Amino acid sequence: MTPSKLVFKNLTRRKGRFLFTLLGIMIGMASFVTFMALGGSLKSQIEKESAALGANLVVTPKGSCAYEQVSILTGEQLPTNITRDEVAAIRSIDGMQAIPYLAERSAIDNRPVSVMGILPEETRVFKKWNLAQGGYFPAEDSEGVVLGAVLAEQFGLLPGSDVRIRGANLKVLGILEETGGKDDLTVFLSLPVAQNLYEQIDLVSYVAVRVDRLDEVELYANKIKDKVSLGVVSDKQMRSSVLAIVGTVNMTLQLIAAVAILAAAFGIVNTMMTATYERKREIGILQAMGATRYGVFRLFLIESGIYGLIGGIGGAVLGGLAAVFATPYISQNAATSFVKGSQSSLDPIMFAGAILFSTLVAMVAGLYPAIKASKLSPVEAISYE
Amino acid sequence: MSDPVMTAKGLVKEYGKGATLVKALRGVDLDIPRGSFTCIVGPSGHGKSTLMHLLGGLDHPTSGTVIIDGQEMFRLGNKELAALRANKIGFVFQFFNLLQSLTARENIETALMLAGVSEKEQKTRAKDLLDIVGLGEKADAKPGQLSGGQQQRVAIARALANDPPVLLMDEPTGNLDSEAEAEVMKVLENLKQQGKTVVFVTHSHEIAARADNLVHVRDGQIQLPHDLKIAS
Ligand SMILES: Nc1ncnc2c1ncn2[C@@H]1O[C@H](COP(=O)(O)OP(=O)(O)O)[C@@H](O)[C@H]1O
Ligand SMILES: [Mg+2]
Repeated sequence: MTPSKLVFKNLTRRKGRFLFTLLGIMIGMASFVTFMALGGSLKSQIEKESAALGANLVVTPKGSCAYEQVSILTGEQLPTNITRDEVAAIRSIDGMQAIPYLAERSAIDNRPVSVMGILPEETRVFKKWNLAQGGYFPAEDSEGVVLGAVLAEQFGLLPGSDVRIRGANLKVLGILEETGGKDDLTVFLSLPVAQNLYEQIDLVSYVAVRVDRLDEVELYANKIKDKVSLGVVSDKQMRSSVLAIVGTVNMTLQLIAAVAILAAAFGIVNTMMTATYERKREIGILQAMGATRYGVFRLFLIESGIYGLIGGIGGAVLGGLAAVFATPYISQNAATSFVKGSQSSLDPIMFAGAILFSTLVAMVAGLYPAIKASKLSPVEAISYE
Repeated sequence: MSDPVMTAKGLVKEYGKGATLVKALRGVDLDIPRGSFTCIVGPSGHGKSTLMHLLGGLDHPTSGTVIIDGQEMFRLGNKELAALRANKIGFVFQFFNLLQSLTARENIETALMLAGVSEKEQKTRAKDLLDIVGLGEKADAKPGQLSGGQQQRVAIARALANDPPVLLMDEPTGNLDSEAEAEVMKVLENLKQQGKTVVFVTHSHEIAARADNLVHVRDGQIQLPHDLKIAS
């Protein structure tokens, strides 16, 4: 016999209670690990999208807020009210390049997809796109669509296939090479065709601007503001406000997970209190056999700690799997849409940390029952019937 | 009988205080001769178990001392007292002596573990001890699969595990039918032949008759033989 064997015999003597208590902490930890993994990937994905945008400045509709800036990075629908004249005025400024976009939504096979109206030639150069299959828009107002690589694969679309966008049947012209960003999941139309289809004649959602000299970003922001009465944000500002929003969403999710873990911790307290009560007499017998108070304390503390250890390992594995497999199916909203098609960040240090954390939580939960058990006097424990 | 393995001096034990004060022991002086088969008898509620608990270092007296192998028990700290219980005393209670989640063998191994015996040695010693009480066959049975008499024999084997100088048994057959009592008595008889020091409490005259040292407890005190004569 060893103390750890004794702990395991005690742990598993009530199988049902053992399993349910374990399940509690496991589920709590699994949700925690999932949200941590998603949170990690969100951040890196935002950085990536911001880089893929390739802009130093973004011109947004007047009075647009941080939430709308998130939409630019995620491909969500935006209020569309920047006029053709305003676009022309911005494009007339020298020393910078300005590309307008119309961001819309549609559905293929009942699954939502982003639709973008673009200036075919300028956007291709601006974003340094390469074609993987098929061709590209032959003219600035060509009918037909060009697809992101992941989207094409998800829906099994090839050049020549038909896609139904807003009731119109459009031919797939070509498929882009994978970029690793949201462009992979977007249907591209030429701007005039998109404007027609979505009845946004002469309107665009935002204008991406790249200045020739990086140290003059501020200057050009002011130049744009002088010409048009629209909102102008730098990519840095946009990134930080997006990160702030995503951080809040993420923190809320982790808070929910923390509550689940807290509930599981009380489950452990409950189980260990019951065990202390049930084994009162056995505690007395152990002491009569020569166990010290500290020895009894340790037996109970390790017993509760093992709930945390096993729960933590199980939770980390479950949570990791959930993050990898469930991610593509998570419904799209401003925060989670970054994750689509991207790999979650599964960090071994995070796993070890989660297991350690869970063990610690369980030991803290077991502290009070263990102290109670160790404080029993042998005679008191034995007289109990 | 000049060499007592255990000596109690002026043991007083009071429970509660004020109106609820119970004087369970009112000054007990007692020698347990080495190799004796000492039997403690007396009516219920007169302090026999209280005395056993103090002799076994399971509780602290209100005043008085117990000396075992020349060591004053209640001067020891918690840790030393626990070590003393592991090595110098084997305790058998009236019932529910065993850890329910462990087999007979594991119960004995646990007692050995608490005395610091290596796992390998635990295994062989546990087997030998079960053979001594005639339960070698039942090594892997859990307490629930054993009869009352068998459970008490396992408890005795466990009390013997670390070869303590004294065995304390508080009504070890109190919960058994006469057949099971006979089983246990056979084991005790063997221990007596081997010269083990055994102190036990019983209500059975038959068992008390086998003792070579009979102690009468009444009202928390030891009754001397001449007092007994006057009383009867
Ligand atoms: N933990 C306790 N608290 C209060 N009173 C107790 C306690 N243990 C025993 N007593 C009292 O002490 C007296 C002696 O009890 P005990 O030693 O168990 O007697 P016996 O074993 O001879 O039947 C009884 O009156 C009993 O009620
Ligand atoms: Mg009693």
